[in-house]
This record gives sequence, structure tokens and C-alpha cells, in this order.
Amino acid sequence: MDLAPLAGAWNVRPMPTARAGERAFAVALALVGAASVAGCARRPACAGEYCGTLVIAAAGEPDILLPPVSDFSITRDVTEQLFLKLAELGPGGTTVGDQDFAPQLAARWEWDGPTTLAFHLDPRARWQDGRPVTAADVAFTYAVYTDTVINSPFRASLREIAAVTTRDSLTAVFRFRRRYPEMFYDAVYHMRILPAHLLRALPRERWRSAPFGRAPVGDGPYRFVAWNAGESIELAADSAFFLGRPHIRRVIWRFTPDQQVAVTQLLARDADAVEVLVTPDNVRRVRADSQFALYPYKGAAYGYLGFNLRAPGDSSAPHPLFGDRELRRALAMAVDRERLLRNAWGDLAALPPGPMSQLLWIWDPTIPALPHDSAQAARLLARLGWTDTDGDGIRDRAGRPLAFRILLPTTSAIRRQYGRLLQEQFRAIGADVQLDEVDFGLFNRRAQRGDFDALLNTWNTDPTPSSGIPETWTRAGFGRLNYGRYANPAVDRLVERAAVLATDRDAARRAWRAAIALLNQDAPAVFLFAPENVAAVHRRVENVVIQPDSWLARLRLWRIPADRLTARDRAEP
Amino acid sequence: MTAWHWLALAAAALAALAAVAALRRRARRTARGRRFFRHPAAAPGLVVLAFVVTTALAAPGLAPYPPRAQLDIVRLADQPPSLRHPLGTDLYSRDVWSRLVYGARVSLGVGALAMLVAVTLGAAVGAAAGYFRRWPDALLMRVVDVGLALPRIFVLLVAVALWGHVTLGPLVLLIGLTGWFPTSRLVRAEVLSVRERDFVAAARALGAGPARIILRHVLPNAAAPIIVSAALGIGNVMLLEAGLSFLGLGVPPPMPSWGNMIADGWPKMAVAPWAALAPGLAISLVVTALNTVGDALRDALDPRAESA
Amino acid sequence: MAAWLLRRLAAALAIVFAVLTLAFCAIHLAPGTPFVSPQDRGMDPAIVARLERLYGLDRPLPVQYAKYLVAVLHGELGESFALRRPVADALAEALPNTLLLAGAALLLDFGLGLALGVYQAARARRAGDVVLGNAALFVHSVPTFWLGLLLLLVFAQRLHWFPVGGTHDPVLCRSVASLRCALDRGWHLALPALTLGVVGAAGTARYQRAALLEVLGQEFVRTARAKGLSERRVLLVHALRNALLPFITLGGLALPFLLTGAVLVETVFAWPGMGRLAVTAIFQRDYPVVIAAAAAASVLVVLGSLAADVLYAVADPRIRAPGA
Repeated sequence: MDLAPLAGAWNVRPMPTARAGERAFAVALALVGAASVAGCARRPACAGEYCGTLVIAAAGEPDILLPPVSDFSITRDVTEQLFLKLAELGPGGTTVGDQDFAPQLAARWEWDGPTTLAFHLDPRARWQDGRPVTAADVAFTYAVYTDTVINSPFRASLREIAAVTTRDSLTAVFRFRRRYPEMFYDAVYHMRILPAHLLRALPRERWRSAPFGRAPVGDGPYRFVAWNAGESIELAADSAFFLGRPHIRRVIWRFTPDQQVAVTQLLARDADAVEVLVTPDNVRRVRADSQFALYPYKGAAYGYLGFNLRAPGDSSAPHPLFGDRELRRALAMAVDRERLLRNAWGDLAALPPGPMSQLLWIWDPTIPALPHDSAQAARLLARLGWTDTDGDGIRDRAGRPLAFRILLPTTSAIRRQYGRLLQEQFRAIGADVQLDEVDFGLFNRRAQRGDFDALLNTWNTDPTPSSGIPETWTRAGFGRLNYGRYANPAVDRLVERAAVLATDRDAARRAWRAAIALLNQDAPAVFLFAPENVAAVHRRVENVVIQPDSWLARLRLWRIPADRLTARDRAEP
Repeated sequence: MTAWHWLALAAAALAALAAVAALRRRARRTARGRRFFRHPAAAPGLVVLAFVVTTALAAPGLAPYPPRAQLDIVRLADQPPSLRHPLGTDLYSRDVWSRLVYGARVSLGVGALAMLVAVTLGAAVGAAAGYFRRWPDALLMRVVDVGLALPRIFVLLVAVALWGHVTLGPLVLLIGLTGWFPTSRLVRAEVLSVRERDFVAAARALGAGPARIILRHVLPNAAAPIIVSAALGIGNVMLLEAGLSFLGLGVPPPMPSWGNMIADGWPKMAVAPWAALAPGLAISLVVTALNTVGDALRDALDPRAESA
Repeated sequence: MAAWLLRRLAAALAIVFAVLTLAFCAIHLAPGTPFVSPQDRGMDPAIVARLERLYGLDRPLPVQYAKYLVAVLHGELGESFALRRPVADALAEALPNTLLLAGAALLLDFGLGLALGVYQAARARRAGDVVLGNAALFVHSVPTFWLGLLLLLVFAQRLHWFPVGGTHDPVLCRSVASLRCALDRGWHLALPALTLGVVGAAGTARYQRAALLEVLGQEFVRTARAKGLSERRVLLVHALRNALLPFITLGGLALPFLLTGAVLVETVFAWPGMGRLAVTAIFQRDYPVVIAAAAAASVLVVLGSLAADVLYAVADPRIRAPGA
């Protein structure tokens, strides 16, 4: 604040005294003091097995609490406490057949034919406004998830389901287009059932910004209480939940700008749980603090630098740089993935052998991938005509420099770190890389539009490769999640075969291996990291069951025993 | 840091001290100079400024490593200060001292250039308003009123949002274009008082045009507030640039500026605080020095405003 | 007096008008349809249609300008796609938080600044004054957000004396219903307000010291001393009263500084105010929000300086002369 203009701006002459003002101030102060003391009321406290308040520190914030419309993982964390699926995947994680699935909304099911599956809903299931959950809700949900106007990110996963009809008020019938190993998984995993009676009247174009999404009514173990924009979301346990009353009474998410701040909040005791600790420093700090227990689990995510094979914003033309397979291979070989991993993750992540997370059963470090070889990369670039003709350190060809931009979201500290590390890796072989750091929402929109040269992205994989890899790395994913528009017909064929062979693990594994090896040779991306997650939860919380593909899926089983309640657990809102 | 670098650093410090001492000797001859150095903090402030400017200019000789070089991202990241890395390394294993020294160029450069833009524009507008009076004055001062009402950082945020990718040049221009309003007020006040003086009337009588009168007669006498607000303004601009770079809207990586060094070091504050502490301290010291020198200048050049 | 007040009001209104006009130009310079974030064609068509009608987007520019002014007066500021709600709603939620922060910082600023200034004036040119003076200058020169980071690191992360961010504890206090919750909010407000306030206080102290010293050299002070009044009484009762008046003007001037500082401090402390709203909106290319926040901040500044001017006129009977 520059006070220079004020200098010399006022005159000085004696001021008349004003005693009355001073007296009034003293009286006001006394009044305020009295009022504060009076406002100090005693409140009842909670005691017993069903108390407990869990505060979760999370980076980012949900966009809208409406399952078909959002694929943010933080949204999923919240909505899976509010809305139920027909059946839930157990810890075994096998997506073939139905042995590893436990009943949720559906009490039992049977096969009425090779492609017909009937679910019998649990008659005890209720929406939080009292109405029973019926098969009409299931049919409505299917219609919403497959609606083209709503354009749900999950729509493609339901393509093998031909129709969902109701046989009676508690029986929903799924008819499939063909028979394949993961039919049950597709029927139950992707959709969260929605209340038809509350949402039927909503026009399809308004789903993206529906007010219901800011104050949802569900049938899950928790009920929505409040959403403080930019700060927190609070849920309260439904004591009449038909699958068992949740032990933890209140669940509150606190939103932070990034994961590092979330960990800081944990250490400052402002939060009880955090999904991932991300860096080895954080693990060390949390481990040193004896109040927290660490829960390692197989990460369901992998991160990569994806090249856009088509021109930014114009998918009909090839990308001037990355349309060339040899250039992509050269750039991929220039990156020392191992060293980048050590710098960013320490020992908390592994190098993905391809587009897969550690959770997937096809994880196999022996799958052939492009080696790190900067000399070879340099030779390849020179052979392609990229040489440094003007001595500025950047290769050029026909007057064009070897330059591109990497798109990444500001919300991910890890990706920002990788952005800067990659800048230097590419500079070392003569490529000039600039970073486009944008907000997460904008990042997603530009990725979907194909408006980028290269992007740093992470995928949370489904428990089975056959639902994720076709979406992201084959022609079937064009216009959906295959942002870079990479397609190799040989790879597509192998992926299809692998999905068909799902019942025969060994045959399927061979097919997947071949597909991934072929994909690696085409270098549509540089696969950078597959984290092993370490969650941290306060020690007083018991029975912490973490589902690898969705860490809070079993939240209703977590408990805080009566003898370990803290003041925060006991406080009534 | 090798011995040569330490020697060069010492040489830079000595050069700064010598320059200020020489300046002081010369200044003692004039009343203004004596008034300037009467401030106990004026000389140290000048020394700091001279030292920082010298290190910025001599950066290649003082920085043992290139500022964007990631030395060994596996073993040398987040290293505490040592003999080899006097200010430690950041999370990308870049030498903080080298980046600090090169960052001085960017931060000081942005500060000086943006201030130049602001002061030039402000002086021009203020002189025009003060000299011509009537409707140009009314119009221009209304514009200045509006300009003073807009909080500077919000205007910059809007400008950056509309612009898209802001590179260094446009950034300097934008910062300068949002900062000329106080200067214009000051200059106008000075011009208003100077224009009534005899020599201006004489020049007008001799047929000199307004531009000539303003440039050769009026402005040199109104120089005092311009110089003072320039000195103080550079500090403001540096703080503003630091803030913008911290938000991610200022100097783009990997070019180091003191602001984006703080932004890089923030996530690792708990583990490697030196990466964010050093640039912050540097900014604080330089802005303090600028404020001190600005204060002393104000007293030296404008005997009316004694701050006791 | 009344004439002066009316003129002042008119000037303030003119500036607000100009700010709104600038905002209008900015909106039309932004890519995409004005008032509607261009980022996704999936925007609710009903909302888009309503906005097109409201702002007359198919009509000539002067008509659009008029409609825009009417709309703003009705509180219609466009739709934010990124936040999936009207801009006015988001701004209305964020504004009180920024005002709270700025208000608390202003109190700290003046309180600390006054105390420091008085102490320094009392000990003018002696050791205490010189040391404190230089220290204050240093603190005033520190980047506000850097100070915030330091305070956060030391007092919140290391010592756990203060919370790490946010406005309140969502577990204990969803609303300010009791003394405990009010205290909780105050506890969360402490570090951000301290950051902003301390930097401002250093500047205020310098100014206050200079002002006091000038007053202390005046006739009436010498008279008071001659009357045999103690130094403390002279300083605190007589000199201070005169030197306090510029505080009102300082308050008006402090608002732009506080709003600027608030943008950075809100980011560091995750305080959900206007500044953080604007910064997040920039990264989302959410133009209606950025422009609305900037316009709102400017209007606040105008109102603040207007209030300061009026208060000054009310408090100081000397300047109620016509034509002042």
C-alpha cells in the first residue's frame, strides 16, 4: 500500500473532544460480552456403538451428485453412499460370472435363458422419502444411462444390454445382445439405481445442472445432509438401512485444492482419512505420527503421457507431429521413465508395462515395451529429418521447430511435477515443450474435444481390462475415452478376442499380452506410473475395509468402538 | 559452487559497496544528496539494490548451474543447503541459488520495464491533464478515478483470462498498463503548480508549442514525484509479479522468477522449505530496499514533506 | 454539506457505471457466447435460451448494453457452466467470506498499526523507534502470500495452533449457532486475517508515526505541555485524537490493497471468498465469473471510499464548508 499520495494531505487543528462516543463504546462492549455468555448452551452428546464422525480430506470437489452424469472419482465416493447398485463386487474382484458378487439392491437373481437375467429386488429397500425401490426404478435408470441426450460417460459400457424391462414391481429383467463372460458384471457394476418418481419429470437436457444433484435423495446407507460449496459435504447414516445400520453416524468430506493440502489437514487432525498419501515424504510423515494407520492397497490407476494422433480440434486430419509413428517411438524412447518414477513417487509406484493399473489381473512386467534409449531416439529423429539447423538447441525440419504443448490439470500435483520433468527430458533430445496447466474441468473438456497436442492423464481402471481398454485404446473408443484417437486394427482384434476368451484365463492372458505388446510398439502414449495406494485412516476407526477399485465402497462397515469416541464423534450437529 | 563462484560473489558485493560509497561522496556536495543520505537506512538500501542488480547482470558468472538444469532427479532432489548447493535444491533437483540469481533478472526486469511503462504513461497523462486543464483534465481524471477504483489484481486476472497464454512481453505490458493511475495524479498536481511559473509563461510567449513546453520546462521540474513513485512502484510490481506467478498466471516455467520459485516450492514446504524461503526472502529484501530508497528520495527531492 | 454529498454520490455512481461498462466490454471480448461459458455444448438449452432473451444477444449492441444494465440491477450476472449454477449465486456465497476476511484484516491493521505508531512516536528517533521502524518496513515489503505460507507452515502445520484452512469446522459447527461456533469461525479466520493485517499494519504504523510526530510539533500540544499535562496524556488524549481522523481515509484507501491481498491469501488458506472464486474461474476459462468478481470488487472499492469520505465529513466539522 503506497501512502505517498496522502502525505501532506491533511491540515491539523485542534478537534473538539467527544466523550459521549467513548461511553457508548464501553456499553456496547459489555452488551456483546453478555450476549456471548448467554449463547453458551450445553448440548447433548452421543454415546454407544453408533456414534462416530469421520472426516475425509479430499482433493477437488464433486461437480454434481448425479451418478449418470459425472465420472469424477470424488463424486463416485459420495454417490456410492447415497445410491445402491443391484449387486456389489466383493474383495475377490473376479468380474467373470457372478460368484464374487454380493446382493445389494437385488436380493437374488437367476438366468432365464442364455441372454436373459432376472433380478429380484429386496422388498425392504426404500428411498429416503419412504417410497419403496421398485423394478420401475431399474428400468428408468437404464433408460437414463443409455440416453443419448444425457450422454453418460458410462453409456458405452452398457452397449451389450439390449433392454431392461419389469416383470412385476420387484423383478427387473435384463436382456443381452449376445452371450459373453462378463454379462453379470456389466449389468450390475456401472449403474447406480435412481428414484424414477423423483427424476422422471426432469427433461433430459437439464440433467447436467439439475438441482436434484445438489440435494440428492437416495436409498443407500447414508442420507444427504448439506453441501457447503467449496468446503464440505455432509452425509448422515440412515438408521433404518435394510442391509444394516452404518456404525459411523456422520461422514463429512472436506475439499482441498490438492492432495498435498489434504494430507496436511490429516496431520493437523482436521481430517480422519485420506484416500492416497501420494508421496514417500507423506508416508514417512504419517507413519511418524502414531495416530494413523496406513492401509496399502493395489492402486486402480495408471498415468500416461498421451499423444494426439489427430490434429487438435480437427479429427479428420492427422497430427502434424504425432501422426508419424516413428516420431512417437523416438519421443517415447527419449523418456527415462524409471528415473521420473523415482523422483516423483519414490517406491510408491511401479512402471506400467502398458495401459494397465496394478489392480488388473493382466499386470505383467515382462510384456515387451519400448526401452529407454536416448541415443537411439536421437538417431531416429535425425533420420526423420529433425536436426538442429539454427543452433538453438531445438530440432527443426523445413523451418518448423520440434515443439508441442502438454495439457495437464492444475489439480494434480503429480502430473504438474511430471510435466516439468518431461519438459527437461524432451529438451535433452531437442524438443521444445510448453505446459498448458488448466483447471480439471477444462482439462476434461479439451481432452474430449481432442483440443491438445499431448496430455498427461490418469485413468482409474475398472476391475476388468475388457471394460476399460477397448474404451481408451481401440476404435470403439473414438468420441468417447480414446482421446488420442489411436487405433490399430490388429490390436482391436486381439482385444476383442481376449474379452471373448475371458473364461479361459490362460488363453485370455496370451491374447492380452499380444495386444499390449503390439500397442507398445506403436507408442500412442508413454505409460508413466501405476501407483500403489496407501490410505491413511485414524487409528480409532476399526474394520477398515478398503475396496481397491473404489476405496469407500465398504464405508458402512467401518466402526468406531464406543470406548474410542472422541469429542468430535460425540458432538451433535 | 566452486571457489571461483564464491570469489565472484564477494567481488559483486565489494563492487556494490564501492559504488555506493563513491555515490555518497559525490552526493555530499549537494543539499539533496545530503538529505538523502541522512536517512540511516538509505545507504544500506542502496547497497542491497546495487548488489542485487550486479548479481543479476553477472548471473552467468555467479551461477554454477544453468537455471533449468535438472541435475539428478533421483538423488539430488530436495537437498538441504550445502557447500555445493548453498541454497539447496528444489524438487526437480535444480540448484536454488542458480535459479535465484537468474530469477533476479526476470523479476527485476519485469519490475523495471513495467514501471517504465506505467510511469511514462502516467506522466504523459498527468502532464496533459495538468497543462491543458478544462475538458482534457476532467476527462482524463475521470478515467484515472475509474482506474483507481479497479483493484489491480482483478484487472490483471480478467486480462490474463481473456488473453489465454500470456508470455513475458505481454505480461510486462499488462502490469504496466494497470499501474499508471497514481503517477498521473501526482504529476498532474506538480504540473498544475509549475505551469503558473514565470519561465513557462515566457516560453509560451516565445511561441513554444505545448509539447515542447511540457517536455523541456514543466516535466523536469515535476521530476521529483515521478522518480519517487517509480522507486516505490517497482517494489509493488515485483510483489504483483510474484503473486501472479504464484497463482500460475505469471512467468511461465521453466524460466525462473522469484514468484514461480515460491509456487514450485510450496507443495514441498514441509520437507524442503529452502526452495520457497529463499526467493521470498529475496523479494522481501529488495522491496524493503526499494521502499527505503524511495522514502529517502522523497525527502531529498521534496523538502516540504519531511517525515521527521 | 448536502450539495457536497450529492456531488460525491454522483461521482461514485458515475464510476460504478464506468466499471459496469468495462465489464460489459470484457464480456463481449471473451470467446464464446457472452454470459454463457462456451466450454461445453452440453449446457442446458433452457438456460441458454433464457439468457439470450434476457441479454438480447441477437439485438444490436446498444440494446444489449441497456438490457445488460437492467439485468445487473436485477442481480442477473450470467450462468457459470463450471459451477453449474448462476454466477450471482456463487458470488453471493463468496462475497461475505471476503468481506469478513477484509474486515478482520482491517481491524488488525488499524489496531496494530495504531499501537505501533503511537509507540514509535513516543520513542521517536531512539533505539526502539529505529529498530521497529525498519522491522515494520521489512514486514510491509514481504509478499503477502509468502508470509501466509510461512505462518501456515509454522503455526498450523508444525505447531497445530491454528487450523490449516477453511472457514469453519464442518464437524462441530455447520452454522454460527453458538459462542463455540463463533469462536471456531474466529479461530479459522485468525491466520488469514493476521497475514493480511500484519502487512498492512506495518504501513499504517509508518504513516501514523509520521502523522503523530507532525501533530506533536503543533502549537496546541505545546500549550498542553505548558499547562503541565503529563506526556502520556498529551500524546494519547490530545495528539492522537487529531491524528485519528485520517484513519477513516486510510480505511477507504486500504480496501483495494485488502482485496488484492485477499486474492492471494484466500488461495493459500483455501478461504472460499471472491478472490479464490475468480482464480479458480480463470483456470476453468469461466469468463462470466471472473468478470463478475472483478466488477464486484471494483464496486466494493467505490462504495468503501464513498463511505470513508462521508464518514470523514461527518466526523470532522472543519471540512463541511461548501465546495470542500
